[in-house]
Amino acid sequence: MDASDPLPALVSGAREGDQDAWNAIVERYLPLVCGVVRRHRLSEADGDDVCQTLWLRLVEHLATLREPAALPGWIATTTRNECLRLIAARKRMTPVDPVESAALAGIADDLAGADLLAAEARQALREGLAELPAARRELLLILLADPPVSYADISERLDIPVGSIGPTRARALEQLRNTRALLALAERPRLETGGERA
Amino acid sequence: MNDWTDDDELMASLAEAVEETDTVTERRRVAAQAAFTWRDVDAELMELLHDSAVEAGSAIRSTGQMSRVLSFGRGAFTLELEVGGNLVLGQLIPGTPGTVVVQQVDAESTTVDTDSSGFFRIEGVEPGLVRFVVTTGGQTLTTAWVHV
Repeated sequence: MDASDPLPALVSGAREGDQDAWNAIVERYLPLVCGVVRRHRLSEADGDDVCQTLWLRLVEHLATLREPAALPGWIATTTRNECLRLIAARKRMTPVDPVESAALAGIADDLAGADLLAAEARQALREGLAELPAARRELLLILLADPPVSYADISERLDIPVGSIGPTRARALEQLRNTRALLALAERPRLETGGERA
Repeated sequence: MNDWTDDDELMASLAEAVEETDTVTERRRVAAQAAFTWRDVDAELMELLHDSAVEAGSAIRSTGQMSRVLSFGRGAFTLELEVGGNLVLGQLIPGTPGTVVVQQVDAESTTVDTDSSGFFRIEGVEPGLVRFVVTTGGQTLTTAWVHV
């Protein structure tokens, strides 16, 4: 099993104790977890703790997860909650500095619901990209490279004419919009509340 | 959110999505994979009911330093804990004798017996993620993971 297997298969594999299925789930959602953690500006060590807590909680949660499609939302929300818990704990353990408290309060408000949805959207984009044929995916990735790669170099590396890079990019993006991951994004149930769907 | 019907905006969102994979470290990957070894399909979970570290007005001082008070529960059963440094004092409620195992992600597990009223004391609990597995009156209950 790998991260490109359908999520329900990975979830049922992990439920049955398949470490490979679990590792595939980890591979698929680590960027989501680390991305949410990063936006809370925790120390590296605190970020590691939040990540580890998230995965331990998911191990417990697997058995009661009724709707695999709700998993990205659960992961994003739970990661955020663990970040906020840690920030609150740090706040209580250190002498109160009014300036710092105000800064921490700002961080706590930082990831509102809209930001979690954006984190899920980035997750869907990564999954959509993984669904594309390899050549299309490579083209998009090379076009995103920083520093930018010239069309001449792209043409040489991917063995396609310079003139077809633009049109191929447009076709690849259209294909991306129609991947299962992006089509499902709009239909995605929130947490466990949309259990009847799909 | 960007308007993904526009090619350039979709590319911009895609750039952010791809860039986010750079936040993944090997250390976090290894820890996430290892979390699966703690899978226990038979575990009956106790939820965290209270944590003085995140709730106001409940830090106490009975061990000579500021302690953290935690409680976990399932049904009518409650586990009360007081954590100060590496020392954990606890009580099972209702107060019946039993055994308590501290499972630590980054250290060895420790098992202790409670006294006849359900009180127990555990030394040498390392900072990190821990959970408590309580066996009393013929049932075994496991707490959610908590960072101490």
